[in-house]
Amino acid sequence: MSLLALSRWQFALTVCFHMTFPAITVGLSVFLCIVYAVYWRTAKPVYLQMFRFWRRLFAVGFALGVVAGAVITFQMGLNWGVFGAKTGPIIGPIIGMEVVTAFFVEAGFIGILLYGDGRVRHFTMFASTVMVSIGTVLSSTWILAANSWMQTPAGYTTKNGQYDPTDWMKAIFNPAFVWRWPHMLLAVFISAGMFIAGISAYYLITGREKGFARRSFSIGIAIVALLMPAQLIVGDGVDSHVDGPHQLSKLEAEQGNWETNNTGWIVFAIPDQKAQKNYLQVSVPWLGSALQRDLTGKTPLPGLDMTPAKDRPEMAGPFWGFRAMFYSSWILWATAFLSVVLRLRNKLWTARRFHKWVLWTTPVGIVAILGGWILSETGRQPWVVFGLLRTSQAVSKLAPGSVLFSVIGFSTIYAVLLASYIVFIIRSVMRGPERDHPDYTPDLTPSSDYAAAVTTASSAQISAIAPTEGAARS
Amino acid sequence: MTLLWFLLVLLSLSMYIVFDGYDLGIGVANLIEGDRHRARHMIELVATGWDGNETWLILLGVALWGGFPLAFAVILPHLYLPLIAALFGLIVRGFSIEMISQTENPAAIWRWMFGLGSLVAAFFQGFALGGLTAPTRIVDGTAMTTGGFPWYGAIMGATVVVAYTALGYAYLKHKSEGRMRSDAAVRGTVFAVIAVALGVASLLSIQGTAAPLNLSTPLHAGAFWAFLIFAAAGAIAAAVTFPRRGRTGSVSDWMPFGGLSVTAIAVLLAFTAAHYPVLVPPELTVTNAVGPDGSLTFLLIGIGANMPLVVFYHWFAHRTFGGKFTPPADSTGSGRPPRTVPLIGGQK
Ligand code: HDD
Ligand code: HEM
Ligand code: HEM
Repeated sequence: MSLLALSRWQFALTVCFHMTFPAITVGLSVFLCIVYAVYWRTAKPVYLQMFRFWRRLFAVGFALGVVAGAVITFQMGLNWGVFGAKTGPIIGPIIGMEVVTAFFVEAGFIGILLYGDGRVRHFTMFASTVMVSIGTVLSSTWILAANSWMQTPAGYTTKNGQYDPTDWMKAIFNPAFVWRWPHMLLAVFISAGMFIAGISAYYLITGREKGFARRSFSIGIAIVALLMPAQLIVGDGVDSHVDGPHQLSKLEAEQGNWETNNTGWIVFAIPDQKAQKNYLQVSVPWLGSALQRDLTGKTPLPGLDMTPAKDRPEMAGPFWGFRAMFYSSWILWATAFLSVVLRLRNKLWTARRFHKWVLWTTPVGIVAILGGWILSETGRQPWVVFGLLRTSQAVSKLAPGSVLFSVIGFSTIYAVLLASYIVFIIRSVMRGPERDHPDYTPDLTPSSDYAAAVTTASSAQISAIAPTEGAARS
Repeated sequence: MTLLWFLLVLLSLSMYIVFDGYDLGIGVANLIEGDRHRARHMIELVATGWDGNETWLILLGVALWGGFPLAFAVILPHLYLPLIAALFGLIVRGFSIEMISQTENPAAIWRWMFGLGSLVAAFFQGFALGGLTAPTRIVDGTAMTTGGFPWYGAIMGATVVVAYTALGYAYLKHKSEGRMRSDAAVRGTVFAVIAVALGVASLLSIQGTAAPLNLSTPLHAGAFWAFLIFAAAGAIAAAVTFPRRGRTGSVSDWMPFGGLSVTAIAVLLAFTAAHYPVLVPPELTVTNAVGPDGSLTFLLIGIGANMPLVVFYHWFAHRTFGGKFTPPADSTGSGRPPRTVPLIGGQK
């Protein structure tokens, strides 16, 4: 493999690994904030139980998001030095703003969110959950501005081979940003909703902790049902307002046509980049034209032949990235629709088969998100900054051996950590939310760490540390 | 403006060294901690703050990227392998911390991973710092390293590991009571002494690298010696108070950490002052790496305006968990046991 290919694999691995966690944690942070608010107002123990249970899954995912995110920042210089030098004046400050307005907010309050329970007042707890959610949402905002600038650069001039900012408003609110940002935000809320609903479905199926399970399930699935229609509209907007006018090559590859003559819509294809044709393809007639608002079935979808050969992306990435997202969105759509029907017929709690279905669809939102990113990033190729800087020219001139070392190292670490995270989730789910209930009395086996804890930690000591408000409430 | 921006880079680096320094140092100390319960406490102690501490590293990276794009593009590839290794360490330890504190009976492996990850991260950070003294040629905007094995990096790596560990023990002493505190005092003093010795050794041996100290102008020499005096003062303050094991809650609790932090920052500044304006020898200087004015203005306004907030969050997070470490209690005051065992040393 060439230096370029290695560097691209390394980057793609890291961002995909990173993206998996914000896909869960952004939505969960907002969910935690709502749940805590309800607990604070109603003092119902079940909300504290929900808060604690979901917080545990949030905590470990958040940690992985943070460490993988830190890697990405440095990779911009490590592996993409030329890119770093040229885009630094624009992307550096944008991500700099992300650090000071979002990362520090998250980092400052996450400790309280995770460990403050019992040490700080309810208000401080609640404020911290709010701050953490604000941080995660702001973080997505800035990073999308940065990435969108690479898709549709604006507000700059080229000087000494560097892109120098001339108009920050234009650079930040670039054409792609205004559509992709809402799309992304909806996406992370939807995927977190599915995650919550899927895991709660497990408790509905096994009949454990009904109060907890029903509330979590209901909120999770409601988020999906409410946001999916909006996502369809915004997603279509991304296609017609960003890709159509600004990145036609991406749209062409996404649709899977080499020539501009297909009025159908390709459901399945195996593209062959060398031969510039599809090995195998299944196309639904008329649909392609209809999607372009021509119901007569005469307008063909644009094909890659409209883009000069040297500017064409590899088709498979955008094509399958889009399919992954699009097919996932049908699954999400079906789930949302069924949930509304069942709710109206008052069967949301008894529909066993639906619960099983939701359990299996837990990760679908995450799959859609990864697919979407693969579409937008591979579809931008061969450019790293669309139309300005080619990926092949942006790479650091490193010894391929060093990059190979890092690819192997990162892959191993990511594989192990991801596997451990999944095992952790499964274990936590099996153990269940019972122990998170405030009235839960632990079963003290002498071997557990807790045995020592409970016997020595006199409650006097505890209440001396904990501000009294919490104790008073019980 | 260039100078102001350079100061922000230095600020992030100093904050990072002090805060993630104690954090990584506790990781290394954890490797030589025999008692399982105490090891767990040490981890709980960093669990509340490691994320914030590491954010200084990200600010450092981004401040360099936005303010000195060329430096970012040259230094990072130049130090590729040590930086990658340091990142490996950081990933593994960060995840391990959360795995340990979010499960009741974490597998022993995570504790090892936490310790080893911290050790690797600390060593290679030092190695990378030392690598800055190796000469480079800049081709097409990225670095081509010339010269052989960066032996100076190895010295710096060892220095940083030991110095971080000393900081870690100083922080532990500040935050704990009883036996944990007195052990931290003893072990920390040993590490602090070795750190100072190694520091002096690296100061002397830098003259043999491609980046010897430049003390030719009065300004350089003056700044260098002034910072060195500060460093010595910090070290002495730490040395006097670190071994004391008397009453808790006195000056001797926080002074070691304060003193060592002053030393670490002052040494960093002394080195920087004696090299300014060179970033990487021989040709890369602050002035030829600096970004356009448009970026610096934006950064200074945007980031400058936010710095007080950033410092506030950081302070707030540390204050909330201020005082001696105690196991967290349940907010409803009933049922659920504290997540950790209490300090072996007992209560106040
Ligand atoms: C600020 C910039 C930025 C942002 C916010 C993102 N990316 Fe990106 N991405 C790049 C900057 C970039 C890049 C530096 O431009 C790469 C590296 C090489 C390349 O082809 O483009 C890239 C490549 C790249 C590739 C490989 C493309 C290929 O090899 O053909 C994938 C799969 C992704 N990215 C996925 C993502 C995901 C999942 C992101 C969300 C977390 C993401 N990108 C955000
Ligand atoms: C390639 C692009 C990206 C880079 C360079 C990047 C960088 C980072 C960094 C450095 C961190 C750690 C910050 C900390 O210490 O808290 C982080 C975390 C985070 N990132 Fe990214 N990020 C990228 C893509 C994204 C995208 C597209 C989103 C949007 C949804 C996102 C959302 C987050 C969030 C919410 C966190 C907080 C940690 C978490 O929730 O897991 N990131 N990112
Ligand atoms: C039918 C519905 C959808 C359509 C038509 C659609 C369309 C698009 C398009 C065209 C892009 C590429 C943007 C670009 O780079 O220019 C995109 C990206 C993306 N999509 Fe979708 N999408 C849909 C549903 C979804 C759903 C349900 C999710 C997740 C839950 C999702 C998540 C994403 C993500 C994460 C990206 C990458 C980030 C970005 O470029 O903004 N999409 N989508």
